[in-house]
Amino acid sequence: MAFLVTFHWGWLLASLLLGLAMGWIAVVHRGQGVSKLVTRWLSVLAVALVAAALSRVIPGRPGYWLDLGLVMFALYLAGCAVGSWLRDWALSQHKPAA
Amino acid sequence: MHGLFRWSSKWWPGVIPLVVFWAIACWTSTPPLEADLAARSTAALRDTVLDKRRIAVAGRDITFAADAFSEEGRRSAVASVESVPGVRLVNDETRLVPEAKPFVWSAERDVVRVTLGGSSPLPASKGKLLEAARAGLGGVEVVDQMNLSRGAPPRFDSAALLLLDQIGKLKDGKITISDTKVSLSGMARDLGGREAIAAALRNLPEGFSVAANEIKAPPYIFQAYKDPVASSVTLSGYVPDNNVHAALAATAARKFFSEKVVDNLKASVGAPAGFSQAVVPALGALSRLSTGTLVVSDREVKLSGDAFYDAAAVQIRAGLGKDFPQGWQFKADISVKPAAAPVDATVCQQLFADLLAKGKIRFESGRDTINPDSAGLLDRLIETALRCPTVNIEIAGHTDADGEDGFNQALSEKRAQAVIDYLVKAGLPANRFTATGYGSTQPVAGNDTDEGKAQNRRIDFVVR
Repeated sequence: MAFLVTFHWGWLLASLLLGLAMGWIAVVHRGQGVSKLVTRWLSVLAVALVAAALSRVIPGRPGYWLDLGLVMFALYLAGCAVGSWLRDWALSQHKPAA
Repeated sequence: MHGLFRWSSKWWPGVIPLVVFWAIACWTSTPPLEADLAARSTAALRDTVLDKRRIAVAGRDITFAADAFSEEGRRSAVASVESVPGVRLVNDETRLVPEAKPFVWSAERDVVRVTLGGSSPLPASKGKLLEAARAGLGGVEVVDQMNLSRGAPPRFDSAALLLLDQIGKLKDGKITISDTKVSLSGMARDLGGREAIAAALRNLPEGFSVAANEIKAPPYIFQAYKDPVASSVTLSGYVPDNNVHAALAATAARKFFSEKVVDNLKASVGAPAGFSQAVVPALGALSRLSTGTLVVSDREVKLSGDAFYDAAAVQIRAGLGKDFPQGWQFKADISVKPAAAPVDATVCQQLFADLLAKGKIRFESGRDTINPDSAGLLDRLIETALRCPTVNIEIAGHTDADGEDGFNQALSEKRAQAVIDYLVKAGLPANRFTATGYGSTQPVAGNDTDEGKAQNRRIDFVVR
């Protein structure tokens, strides 16, 4: 993991920033969200992929690509969470003043 | 927290660019990542002794194949690769180098090259052997057909290096180590090479032994050529050492009383056992020939030439082989010199006098036994006597003045008679000869010096 971070820090940072931006937008976004059922299925899929990565069942290049994708996705999610929370916090600061 | 769930349902659009990023990242980073891991794995194995090392990288997985020289080395090599940062999985395809049983190594020499074959324990010792072969053999091509195997006996390297030294002494041949047994075959380059190799083999490391040493040496040649025209005897070839050389030169000087001895002998080791005991009688036989060649090649003696008369030829053919040591062979090709024209009594006397001026019939000290060194002279006296068949000859014995007159008188008579017996044995009629002893009554030189006494001790042939 440490190796992936040092070798791919640029891509990981990009994922994190993308997540921050997406999280920032998501709070005020009025579009259709993902339904609960789909979210559940997507979570199951994510867990399955993480399990596959940890158990190292996928060999060679696909295995490496899976690892890289999961790390980028994890950072994206982290970025989204931080971004949404920051936007929410910024809005709550703004309302009393208004 | 509830808000986070709510917001998260709207995070999905960002996944689209994320997937694009991921695809680009995979596309661009895979080859450099694989190259980086391969380089660092190779570096991690730098100090590990392995053969046929192969590293293949797919993603972060490394397929590592190699032949290791011990189980411990194999495990530590795999562990080194596993510990390289970034490596996810190691497909261990390592194995142990096959064990050779028996562990055979060989060095074979032919005219143009030396081929090293069989097994070698480690790449380092293989390199060392090749380097030693190239350094030790000068310009000779060295071909490496060695493979690597486990199971070498202890101290294999030093044994193989010692044997590589010996291959330089061979013209052609093969040296093999099979476990701890050493076998050698072939032909030594020089006389003495076989002995030098045998001596070096005594320094083989502990545990090694010589199973078979079939190194042959080039034939050990000694030659003597008697040339009646130049009146010379040429000695050439080899003698074992300077003492034997001096002894042979002295023998030749005694036996070839009238010929000049040309000595081209060289000292060299490698003489067959019993060399002197065979060469001395062979030189004696040559001295009895009018012209002849003696070739001693290892343990084979070849004598060819012309004897002075029939009986001499028979005696030489029959007598020589008896004196030889065990294992020696004798081939004689003796013919008889055509009989010389008869001469009258005066010329006959002159011929006797000439011969006896050049050499003297020698006896054992104080006795009437003819010394074998005088055989050549006697043959020529007999040949002369055969040329004047009608002449009667007095064989006159003389002594020096040492000792009692009575003893000297008796000794001179007995010696004269011994000469007649010899002549009769050679086929001359006994009635042509009379033996007379003069004791010390007719000196030809003073009896006060050793030299004078030696001149007085003599046998004269007097035509009557």
